[in-house]
Amino acid sequence: MSVARPARCLLSKRFAAALKPATPTCNAAFHSSARVEARKKQRFQSIRAEEMGLTSSEKVQKFTEENFQPYTPEEIEVLKKHYSPEQMEALQAGEAAIDPKDLTIQGRLRRDPYAIPYLDDFSRLAPTVDRRPKKHSSPDFTKIRWLSENEFVNDIQRFAKETDAPQAKAWMEGKLNDPTLSEEQKEWVKGQLAKVTAQADRAKALEGKQGDAEGLDLLFERSMLNDDNAPSDTALAPSLGKDIPGISGIYQNPIDPEDQGLDDEGIYQDLKRRTGLSVREMLDLTVKILVVRMVHNQTRLGKIRSVWVLAIAGNGNGRLGIGEAKSVENGAAVQKAKLLAIRNMKPVPRYEDRTIFGSVTTKFGGTIVKLDARPPGFGLRASARFFEMFRACGIHDIAAKMPRSRNPMNSVKACFEALTNQKDPNEIAIGRGKKLVDVRKVYFGGNVL
Amino acid sequence: MGLPHIANLCSHLQNASKARLGLTSAPHTKYNLSVLLSLQKAGFLSFVTRGGALPPDPATLSTYEPEPLTSANVARQRLWVGLKYSDNAPVLRKMSAVSTPKRPITMKLPDLERVARGWDTNGRVNVRGLNMGECLFVSTSKGVMEVREAVERKMGGLVLCRAGP
Repeated sequence: MSVARPARCLLSKRFAAALKPATPTCNAAFHSSARVEARKKQRFQSIRAEEMGLTSSEKVQKFTEENFQPYTPEEIEVLKKHYSPEQMEALQAGEAAIDPKDLTIQGRLRRDPYAIPYLDDFSRLAPTVDRRPKKHSSPDFTKIRWLSENEFVNDIQRFAKETDAPQAKAWMEGKLNDPTLSEEQKEWVKGQLAKVTAQADRAKALEGKQGDAEGLDLLFERSMLNDDNAPSDTALAPSLGKDIPGISGIYQNPIDPEDQGLDDEGIYQDLKRRTGLSVREMLDLTVKILVVRMVHNQTRLGKIRSVWVLAIAGNGNGRLGIGEAKSVENGAAVQKAKLLAIRNMKPVPRYEDRTIFGSVTTKFGGTIVKLDARPPGFGLRASARFFEMFRACGIHDIAAKMPRSRNPMNSVKACFEALTNQKDPNEIAIGRGKKLVDVRKVYFGGNVL
Repeated sequence: MGLPHIANLCSHLQNASKARLGLTSAPHTKYNLSVLLSLQKAGFLSFVTRGGALPPDPATLSTYEPEPLTSANVARQRLWVGLKYSDNAPVLRKMSAVSTPKRPITMKLPDLERVARGWDTNGRVNVRGLNMGECLFVSTSKGVMEVREAVERKMGGLVLCRAGP
């Protein structure tokens, strides 16, 4: 039994509209032979539903009775357990309002495999479909005004009363443990307690200031909240006010004491969150600018010169990243590129933590980069930019060649791609169903350089 | 001659694995069969079987018996092979013919030893050394085998194709 059956008529109509076959939009003939539909002969002559007697009133009646039966008394009993009497009333009214025959004629029941298993469930709000109900009606803006003198005093008095909240809170907490109270009463006390706790928290923020001159100072402190644009002696805007109740304590100082004063400008805070590295670790990374280009945007007013910077970052232990950034200011571009390089750091597979696995060839634009693994002690035989990249990621033996274009930007990008996209020998072995043994670790008792 | 068929087979298997096919077929020739069997031995293919125009049922593949070869059905036979994929990537990614019908390349033992160790040949023929995970298939007097096996058995022969990840 579908709990939400009363809604079926609404949706079934919608389905009927949605399921209409799409009419072909293009009627132009692209070739001279007859269209497939025209060529294909129907196997059966099409017969109308009326001729088959499907639309006769008896048939309609029969279908209606089979498919849209009213609720049985047992079902109503079950429903009563789930719905309040008001909801039940609405449910039955809805049932009475809809003629099942209309459902038969106008509605469409989906029996295809992709049908949704329910018609609709109004007990929950679907966040993407349903509009969120408004909790409060909007205030009447025509009646908004400032408090008068008397009202302001009354408001302060009421506020002062709230500061008795800690006592009320203690009393209510005592009541909650009282065994003589019934469950309903306890529920009510709990509700009140929540309110009082909020008041007590507010009062706590004002602790020690209430009732003396300090409290009044706080209330009458000139700030943007209460000065109403009054004339003043200074050109500076009035401050926002310190220790504002309800706000103080919520916002933290952006400088994290964990950084030990290394990042007072907050440059690395976002990176810290993204990468999980500490500021100390990020400062210890090898970060280098490898390519700088002056680029120009030709506008109708003239050229806008910018600096394009490509930086690399590596931890010297198998991680490397590149970052590129552009800015009108050189310093901004450099900083952005360095931060992006740290952010884009990827693992570089290394054989024996000193060279790569086999030979790798990558093409990036017109640049082809060939990297070859080399024995221990070979060193880094590569161009200057590659040398920096290998050193940054902790590769000590490698040979690199660029047989074609040596564009600085493309060569760095190609090298990064080659280093990060090496094939994993273990993966190859697993794919081929072979056992992999590194003979260098077998001979000489594994005592190799 | 088998060499054009080998070149076609190489391109076909490479295309099929690029298209992420689960199984594909090749013409039923002796040369194709021996190359495919050695590919399977090297772990690039999951199975090799003879079949008709339609592939064998994958559910009953382990007990599949191809129909007996007769002169009536031999022209319709094909070799059905299963391609392997690991970690969402094809196991056999690159496959290219070394010998071509125009220029068959034969190599003697010293050259094969160099190639098997990953060094390029020097001299008459120009064959690049094997990279990590690559295999070279050589047709010897004892049949088609992988270059490492040929070196172990001290045999040279016609270098057919190379396959790799």
